Amino acid sequence: MKELEKTKRISIAAVLFILAVLIGLLTYKRPQYMYAINTKDTLEKLTNDNYIITLNDLNNPDYVLIDVRNQFDFEKGHLKNAINIYTPDILSDENSGLFNELKETNKTAVLYGNNPQEVNAPFLILYQLGYDNIKLLSIDNSYLQNKLITKNNDIEKSEADITTFINESRENASIEQKVEDIIKAPKRVITVQKRKKKPAEGGC
Amino acid sequence: MVKKKIAKVLAFRYKLLAGILILLAGGLVLLPKYQKHEGIKPQALLSNVISPERYITTDQVAHKLINRDPSFILIDVRDEKSYEDYSLPNAINIPLKKLLDEDSRSYLNQNQYDVVLFSNDHFYADQAWILCNRLGFKNIRVLNGGLNSWFTTIINPLKPSKNLPAEEFELYSTRKAASMYFGVVYPEQAKVAGSETKIEAPKRVITVQKRKKKPAEGGC
Repeated sequence: MKELEKTKRISIAAVLFILAVLIGLLTYKRPQYMYAINTKDTLEKLTNDNYIITLNDLNNPDYVLIDVRNQFDFEKGHLKNAINIYTPDILSDENSGLFNELKETNKTAVLYGNNPQEVNAPFLILYQLGYDNIKLLSIDNSYLQNKLITKNNDIEKSEADITTFINESRENASIEQKVEDIIKAPKRVITVQKRKKKPAEGGC
Repeated sequence: MVKKKIAKVLAFRYKLLAGILILLAGGLVLLPKYQKHEGIKPQALLSNVISPERYITTDQVAHKLINRDPSFILIDVRDEKSYEDYSLPNAINIPLKKLLDEDSRSYLNQNQYDVVLFSNDHFYADQAWILCNRLGFKNIRVLNGGLNSWFTTIINPLKPSKNLPAEEFELYSTRKAASMYFGVVYPEQAKVAGSETKIEAPKRVITVQKRKKKPAEGGC
């Protein structure tokens, strides 16, 4: 009798366990977005690949322009044939469908925004998700009288040589000092004060 | 007789259980595929990246440097040559390529100090930040505008035109003082220093005192 009970318990436990594992497996959802490369590989590719293009390279029919600014800016003015995908929406379902389609048809998505720094974020995220058919258009967008003006922008160009500036300022300042040296000879001021002799006071 | 049957069934069940468990263990072999999926989820990364709270302005960094705030480190992510040419005081150089090396990780993956990444403009610094954020490093910020902005705001601040509010002038004088701290010499500053040290000619004030001859006192 004792043995029977033991086996019942064990078999019930075993069945429950297998049930639990089965349920776990069935309800396991693959995460919707998975990175395709890890950070080290991303870094290597970033520092080696040439993913930045300028306005002159835009005449390629394989390029699809994507504007990552918000809708308001897009409607104010955008480059020709650009699609608007605002940065927070790049992971939405319809947009991932769009990117998958672009990848399958071997077209290159070219991202641009108001300045290259704005595009940096969506570019890197898409790159890490595996869409390596994207490039970054390094331009500055500004508006003049409601018209869009687009200029090329050199990424990370050092605009000022700070060491030279500081050295120059030192030189300029010391030059002024020398000029003063010549003009003003040291004035020696000697004042000799004599105390007034006070007349005798008092008296009877 | 009954006992023997039970024993047989038992044996079969156990074998079945063992077999299933081994199969499940084999599923663990599939896990290495997910190693590429390191770091926080893409949606979380996206929302972190969109938020501008990682930026720190040049004025704030200048303030921290002048007050010798001990709780932060500056990391320059440009190449070594630019770093040696000019960099912020006490900044460490970790070129972007070496960002994820073992020795750089000790600077990045800690929660004692605030780390501020900078480069010429904040493009490369941002890229470094995004990668660090994916790996879950905290307390990392980016200098907004990088060294280009450092130059135009701190080293060579723009003098405000006359129709701007008083705060602009105060900001300008703070920035000008900061620029003097960081090495820029202004002509007026040198003038004052020069005149003080040059004219050491002593001013000799010679007072000749003659004691008053007191008239004879006393009564008459």
